[in-house]
Amino acid sequence: MKRPRIGVFKFTSCDGCQLSILNLEEDLFDLLQFINIAYFREALDKAQLKEYDIGIVEGSISTDRQKKEIVEIRERSRWLMSIGACATAGGLQALRNWSNVADYKRYVYPSPDLVSALPMSTPVSDHVYLDYELWGCPIDKAALAETLLSLLAGKRPGIPAYSLCMDCKMKGIPCILVSRGEPCLGPVTRAGCGVLCPSFSRACYGCFGPREGANIDSLLGRFEELGMDRKETVLLLDKMNTYAYRRVRLEKAD
Amino acid sequence: MRKLIKTDYLSRVEGEGGVVIEITDGSVSKVHMRIFEAPRFFEAFLKGRPHQDVIDFTARICGICPVAYQMSSVHAIEKIFKVTISPPVRELRRLLYCGEWIESHALHVYLLQGPDFYGLESAWAGREYLEIAKRGLRFKKLGNDILTMLGGRPVHPVSVRTGGFFSVPSRKSLAPLLPELEKAYAESLQAIRWSASLDFGDPIVATEFISLGNTTEYPMNEGRVVSTTGLDASIEDFLGSIQEYQVDYSTALHSGIKREGTVSPYIVGPLSRLNLNHEKLPDGIRSAMNEAGISLPIANVRMAIIARVIEISYAFHEAMRIIRAYDEPDRPYEDFEPSGGVATWATEAPRGILIHRYELDGRGYVKAATIIPPTSQNLAHMEKMIRDFAVTHIGSQADHLRKETEKIIRSYDPCISCSAHTIIIDRRKSSLD
Repeated sequence: MKRPRIGVFKFTSCDGCQLSILNLEEDLFDLLQFINIAYFREALDKAQLKEYDIGIVEGSISTDRQKKEIVEIRERSRWLMSIGACATAGGLQALRNWSNVADYKRYVYPSPDLVSALPMSTPVSDHVYLDYELWGCPIDKAALAETLLSLLAGKRPGIPAYSLCMDCKMKGIPCILVSRGEPCLGPVTRAGCGVLCPSFSRACYGCFGPREGANIDSLLGRFEELGMDRKETVLLLDKMNTYAYRRVRLEKAD
Repeated sequence: MRKLIKTDYLSRVEGEGGVVIEITDGSVSKVHMRIFEAPRFFEAFLKGRPHQDVIDFTARICGICPVAYQMSSVHAIEKIFKVTISPPVRELRRLLYCGEWIESHALHVYLLQGPDFYGLESAWAGREYLEIAKRGLRFKKLGNDILTMLGGRPVHPVSVRTGGFFSVPSRKSLAPLLPELEKAYAESLQAIRWSASLDFGDPIVATEFISLGNTTEYPMNEGRVVSTTGLDASIEDFLGSIQEYQVDYSTALHSGIKREGTVSPYIVGPLSRLNLNHEKLPDGIRSAMNEAGISLPIANVRMAIIARVIEISYAFHEAMRIIRAYDEPDRPYEDFEPSGGVATWATEAPRGILIHRYELDGRGYVKAATIIPPTSQNLAHMEKMIRDFAVTHIGSQADHLRKETEKIIRSYDPCISCSAHTIIIDRRKSSLD
């Protein structure tokens, strides 16, 4: 059997999600019996873009050059999937979507005109069709392996879209929101991280983005009852998945 | 006559960059490290955020060295709030850093740079390299296991907070790491011999190495800034002596040290740390170095892989020491009242000194942020070393020069995603101020 060709592509990001591929460690060499990693700048010298069975995209679209490149990558990939909060939701750098990019440039660079950046940092799905999206900041490496193998086997990957609370309850962790009165994003956030923060006695801060059907404003109302002011509660959402949480709120409001 | 030798896109480095050498009438007229990593404007969106966000956000600058960002920022914040962490928390933070040094160095040594010495395009491209790559993955996994134990996951761990950790491990839960660490430490001593036996090609020699130092232990989370030419400064004074400048071919600012009217490049990273702190290494590692014929200081920057392998070994050794001596603290973090102020801190990221400076308001929210990653400090130095190499190899085939240049750059382990987030201190006023 010819091994399917995989391409790994980076846009605006921290490299952490593509690192999850190398973090598969000894499993990586087992996986390489079934797949051929044909394009992966971080780990492999190969300059020319070719055709791919699966394209894996890390990073948000935030420059003109990237807008063109993502279209070419889509055309060359039979299946295309996003990995991580940047590619799936625009990432932390999408905080500039609520500000003025010209001010940001002036703040960071002495010669802002030399720096090219679009006014918004946007998810890949705003530009091309995606066959699959993997959430998380960073993604879970086991979920990545599951998704790749499922795509190859032609089955739907077993990745949850329900809330973090479900997994948290199953782990038997006392509810941080109810028992400690701390603002936890668990009720509106996708499961998938392994309930990390609550396991460390910490409120969820939303690495995996909004779950399906999340009722965000109702949760923010609860945070206000706990004594937070409105502005503070919005800061809780404005993190790595800010663009996704805000979109869900806008859609609900319509 | 003008000739350009271009590498459009560097591979097996972290982030997006290229390099151009311009040769005019037979001499090297320009060397440009081109960084086209898209800017993310961290320093701008940190403004107005609470102090815990600084720890969580700056980690997202780099997926390979998130702990470094958490460590530099949390210590700067604690300095402003005048919080003193407990001794066991100090040790746990050191253990967390050991995990990151191991994971980051093993990735670079075995998966990114290693293939260069065997003429391979990747770590899985040659059967003869397979066992070496697997050793690297075993080391890397153990580094990741330490990070996971203390922070839940290797990339962007979740446990670090102002005053300590959200929760700390029990003595019992750390113990299972010990047998694995003992095995890996023994293997890492052999790896030191392997690293010294590699063929480094024609040497290129650096003059000023800079790292944290003036400490009783090998530096990680604190220290003064020292150099091989006699510098010994506080972090604030060092920050004041750095000149950062923007170039039109890069989204990363370059930097050098201001001295008598000139700005001179310098190198930070494992080789600098080793050259300036090797006498603090444990005896076992020092004798392995002697047996391998390694003599210090090492001035050839192409031999930095040796320093990385030695530091992997040290991090295994240090992790064992910390775990054996660990006593759970009475509480995972110290209580504090947020307060306003300014502080500068630096820690030793896997790739060298990472400087953070914050100004916070009375509620502990960010008024101004400055982040100077190690790679942006090294960029000007890389250009200088490539120029030195090109000058002495001007007659070489373009292809040879291109390949060797890529290898030289890789020996710095550049983290280009990080480098695109440096900022200038005397910034122009903008409406964000």
